[in-house]
Amino acid sequence: MCNTQGDTPIRLKRRPIAQSIENLDQLMNLEKGRMSRDLFWDRDIYEQELERIFARCWLFVGHESQIPKAGDYVSTYLGEDNVLIVRQKDGSVKGFLNTCPHRGNKVCFADLGNARQFVCNYHGWAFGIDGALKGMHASETYEAAGMDKSEHGLHPVAHVDSYRGLIFATLDPEAPSLAEYLGDMRYYLDAIFDMDEGGTEFIGGCVKSVIQCNWKYASENFVGDILHAGWTHDSGAKAMVGGPVAEVHKTPEQSYHVNFNGHGWEFNQDIVGNCATLGEKELLKYLYVLQPKVAERLGELRSRMIGAISSCTLFPNTSFLPGQNTFRTWHPRGPGQIELHTWTFVNKKAPQEIKDKWRKGTMMTFSPSGVFEMDDGEKWEYSTRSNAGFVTRQQDLYLGLGHDTRVENTDLPGNVFQGQINEANQRAFYQRWLDLMKADSWKTVPQRDLPKMKEGV
Amino acid sequence: MNAKTAMPEIGVDAETQRRVEQFLYREARLLDNERWDDWLALMAEDIHYWMPTMENRRRADKNGTYAVDRGALYNDNLLDLTRRVTRFKQPTAWAEDPATRHAHVVAGIEVYQGEAPGEFIVHSTFVNYRSRVEKDNDLLVGRREDVLRADGESFRLARRKIIITQSVLMAKNLNTFL
Repeated sequence: MCNTQGDTPIRLKRRPIAQSIENLDQLMNLEKGRMSRDLFWDRDIYEQELERIFARCWLFVGHESQIPKAGDYVSTYLGEDNVLIVRQKDGSVKGFLNTCPHRGNKVCFADLGNARQFVCNYHGWAFGIDGALKGMHASETYEAAGMDKSEHGLHPVAHVDSYRGLIFATLDPEAPSLAEYLGDMRYYLDAIFDMDEGGTEFIGGCVKSVIQCNWKYASENFVGDILHAGWTHDSGAKAMVGGPVAEVHKTPEQSYHVNFNGHGWEFNQDIVGNCATLGEKELLKYLYVLQPKVAERLGELRSRMIGAISSCTLFPNTSFLPGQNTFRTWHPRGPGQIELHTWTFVNKKAPQEIKDKWRKGTMMTFSPSGVFEMDDGEKWEYSTRSNAGFVTRQQDLYLGLGHDTRVENTDLPGNVFQGQINEANQRAFYQRWLDLMKADSWKTVPQRDLPKMKEGV
Repeated sequence: MNAKTAMPEIGVDAETQRRVEQFLYREARLLDNERWDDWLALMAEDIHYWMPTMENRRRADKNGTYAVDRGALYNDNLLDLTRRVTRFKQPTAWAEDPATRHAHVVAGIEVYQGEAPGEFIVHSTFVNYRSRVEKDNDLLVGRREDVLRADGESFRLARRKIIITQSVLMAKNLNTFL
């Protein structure tokens, strides 16, 4: 496996793609809202997800605000591939596999920091923040062997790009542009990440935990499942606001599912419904004051999304909640485990005391000790684990809510469905999953969704 | 770990040491028995109950492993603690039904005089083991630094800092106090 391009070694090698698993189409009949449990349990399917989803898609790796200065870095994951995301001297961002090309050891054991160089602690290979191999312990021995240092830099990721402060990377040189990948979902992302001049920032560090569930249970929950909140999160709502979760199923005319390329957002237009669960009146006031200004910037509909009852997943494994302001990535760790990384995002120009209240609010609601998240993990764990049963796993699951809710004549970008109590986004998520799992290259991924937005916008 | 502020460690008499130990053992028992309201009654009005999350940073990084304005699993005042207890008591707190079984083991209790009269600085270590339904078992080990304030014959908890060893919490949730 020593593929070279002329004399220049390729620094990010990829094997030819493995043959797709047969009969993937039989795993689901989305028209009928039927799907197989094998998606959540099968080891062969998981291995192909690593190749066809996580080593191909644009995945979230960090926020610009986490690495403001040259040499600032975060250590994160693309699937199970550990990568370093590093701010360069020219202000650009590069990404590298966190592994020494010599014997394979990690070159950086910190979660984040500022580095002038990354030095492997095994044989002392030292890499610049641009990934180039600069030198090593006993360098004359390598010189005697005729080794060319320029051929042994850190392995770069294929592409890094950002949108509204959110940095994404892909391990696939053939991936479409980030703008094309996000497509019309960018219209909605602006409602949160461009609601205020100055954009957003991440504050308060990263909270990490492990949940013994398949990664798709978490992603599908945030892509469209507000339905669970009224039941699963009743105790959390009573703790934070003294009453049950709002009955959004009674007002479908004011709410939507929208999706594009498997990304999905469910939302109503109540401005502050999610934010209200943090139990901090000052935050509601902040959003109500901001809303008319957002309406001027982005129009009425998006201004009503800034803290509304809503959730979003960017395919495949990054999610956030407007209003509660938790941002999170569900890193896969085998078919039955995820490592959850969460951050708090705020408007950069918000007053410090407002930012502090949001930092506390995410902790109180959506962290491992949070009164809402506490009741999510168990559901996802047992939705996964029950499939250990040989016969159990052969029984279909249901995903059929909201057929015939498609809104045809609308100016809104993406695929639009009426009513946020819906499973349209979940079906679109799994359709995208199926398309990627079947396609041997990006060229053969069906383009189901036609963008209304221009690519460069 | 973060640099410690150098506070002179002035010991206390054996009776005070014994009473503080009793207070912490009783507190652990109240938590094991899910006596949430009785546990809340041990808190001072101005309680700061703090459990930061650990970051892996180079030793040379002056930002340290944790800080009060960074990530936390608890960074609570009395209202926050009360809200958490409110959830525990709901019949719809699904992750508590059937009940989780808790064991809070407290050891290594050191008691020193605090900054204000009637206040004590108390160091202790803990092991928390939680078991749920068939085989969900979660282990958390760490160290606490408390400020106890004399209150009649007993004490109230005015400050608690909880330092755990894990940087990635190896559990789906944290449905207890420590």
